[in-house]
Amino acid sequence: MPHIEFRKVAKSFGHNTVIGGFDASVEDGEFLVLLGPSGCGKSTLLRMIAGLTEISGGSLLFDGHVANDWTPHQRGVAFVFQSYALYPHMTVRGNIAFPLVMDRFRKWHHIPVVNAIQRWRAMRDPELAASVERIARQLELEPLLDRRPASLSGGQRQRVALARSLVRNPSLYLLDEPLSNLDAKLRTQMRSEISTLHREVGKTFIYVTHDQVEAMTMATRIIVMNHGEIQQVDTPDGIYDQPANTFVARFVGAPPMNLIPVRLAEGSRLEVGASLAWTHAGPLPAAPAAILGVRPEKLRLFSGTGGMIAAQVIVIERLGAETVVGCRLDDRPAGDHGLNTDDLVFVRIAGHPGLHHGDACSLSYAVEDAAWFDSASGRRLEAGPVRHNPVA
Amino acid sequence: MTGTAGHQTVTPGRGRRRTVHLERWLPYAFVALPFGYLVLFMFWPLTDQMLMSFADTKLMNPNAGKFIGLDNYRRLVADPQFYTTLRITIVYTVLAVLFGVGLGVIAAFAIDRPFRGRAAVRAVLLFGWAVPGVAAALIWLWIFNLPSGVLNDITQAMGLGRLRWTNSLGLALPSILIVTVWQVSPFVMLVVLAALQSVPEEVREAARIDGADALNVFRNVTLPHILPTLQLVSLLIAVWSIRRFDVIYLLTGGGPIGSTSTLVVELRQTAFEDFNLGMASAYGAVGLVLALLVALVHFLFERHRARVMSR
Repeated sequence: MPHIEFRKVAKSFGHNTVIGGFDASVEDGEFLVLLGPSGCGKSTLLRMIAGLTEISGGSLLFDGHVANDWTPHQRGVAFVFQSYALYPHMTVRGNIAFPLVMDRFRKWHHIPVVNAIQRWRAMRDPELAASVERIARQLELEPLLDRRPASLSGGQRQRVALARSLVRNPSLYLLDEPLSNLDAKLRTQMRSEISTLHREVGKTFIYVTHDQVEAMTMATRIIVMNHGEIQQVDTPDGIYDQPANTFVARFVGAPPMNLIPVRLAEGSRLEVGASLAWTHAGPLPAAPAAILGVRPEKLRLFSGTGGMIAAQVIVIERLGAETVVGCRLDDRPAGDHGLNTDDLVFVRIAGHPGLHHGDACSLSYAVEDAAWFDSASGRRLEAGPVRHNPVA
Repeated sequence: MTGTAGHQTVTPGRGRRRTVHLERWLPYAFVALPFGYLVLFMFWPLTDQMLMSFADTKLMNPNAGKFIGLDNYRRLVADPQFYTTLRITIVYTVLAVLFGVGLGVIAAFAIDRPFRGRAAVRAVLLFGWAVPGVAAALIWLWIFNLPSGVLNDITQAMGLGRLRWTNSLGLALPSILIVTVWQVSPFVMLVVLAALQSVPEEVREAARIDGADALNVFRNVTLPHILPTLQLVSLLIAVWSIRRFDVIYLLTGGGPIGSTSTLVVELRQTAFEDFNLGMASAYGAVGLVLALLVALVHFLFERHRARVMSR
């Protein structure tokens, strides 16, 4: 399996730089997910690995060899497209067998009649037929082998695309948002099928998605990207628990991490707006102001004033087993009842809270669950020891 | 009160009946207009022509034709000139399809990829399609002209001398073919270009990943995608070639010695110079059968493809 390394890889379209100086490496057998919003350059990066898009700057190394100018076929990769990219006029069998037929192709087979004979012979090759049958069995496509893509469902087409990529037994699998055209139920099913497939084949998978659930459930490692730059490289747990900046904190998690800009005052007091303050009896960053981050499930919700942060219930979303409650902190002047939900603090709790829209409530959190970010740059701050004196 | 109540219950019933009535007949009213057009301008003349082919109708007295059964067709199949005409029509049609589609496809591929000045090249290539048949014939008469034609200037410079393009036995049919291909290939180019630009780029990329070189990508992805379009333009050009009159008549008049006399040119000759409308109608019927055969082949291919693709 090739070890892939990016060295200052860049991509520009005219004067527009999509990816600038990308440095990373892909380890053997890992399931690496490139996660980011639309237009962040993750698909472009995947296409550069496949050799479908030219690299504008830097080097892409396959096992230490610069592969910038290698053809897609030379790289020995499999690529699963978002649209599946099946050959519509071929049967499922023809689609799966196509890479193997091409492997047997020689230049002189371009002579028209020879071409047809070669194709005919290749399709009757017992070794090729056995490979197709084996992959079809693995992906439960056997009953569909003689059908054409037009008569298949989205999930079946997706499986054919996977089978076509598997049949050549490549060392690297590149998957470009392969589940985004499926409905929610099928997506969940295919997610687990792809994870199982990764475990079975034991090869390197690089998977592009903007869906954080796919990333969190499938990846062994995630690269979070934004505007063509790496925001964080870590395991799913590391990304979720220790976000490197406010972008990652907000992008991963649903609802996202609550980010509350606070002033750090005397006696470990945290102040928000003009009227709200509470004591944070834990480590604090060495800055006069910072952004406090707490995941919704780490917040506790109290009806009345049992918690340390006074708030008011604005939104209640019942999700069956759990409820997401959107609260507005009591830091606003009296009479301000704006509907803007950007500044809501979300709490995820099991069951139903017994609260209603407009009810007064209060929130609380464990100090070890707090994350701190720089107010200006958004970068994660390490909290120092517990302070009792104000920051100058 | 009872009467009023009765009246009130009847009124909506009438309204509903009127609506139902309207819903039932309105579609027929919409269909009636195009149907009337087809009957008046297609089926009636076609039927009249077919009936005329079974009569001895003369141009001098078109309403006095008597029914003579299959006599016109018997005379037609007994006439060696008919077979020459049929052969010329088929040769002309096949070559027009082959060269027209071939050149159009090459032109479409040439301008498929973006390059500087592509719009200007496309406009120039479209010229032949935009020019009316009569104007095209006149332009090419100048080009083919023996003493001053530009084509003869070229052949002379190449040492081939000045050629009688439109009135020599060997060059008359190629000459009308050149003009025909010049006229139809831009149409093919336009249609094929549209088909080429609808080939999903991801499927081409998938084929490249699977190890296909440029020729294999063309053979396995592009060609199957544009094949229905090629089939359709081939059908259109074949039908247009079977009924093409203006260019052939103006360039060669069917000569020399009938070497470019297609069914339509022969039809005009029989109808307006021999004054035999019955016989001319028989020629028309043969042309119609020929066009229907081409359409039938296209239909059978299409049906086969639809069946295969839906499996």
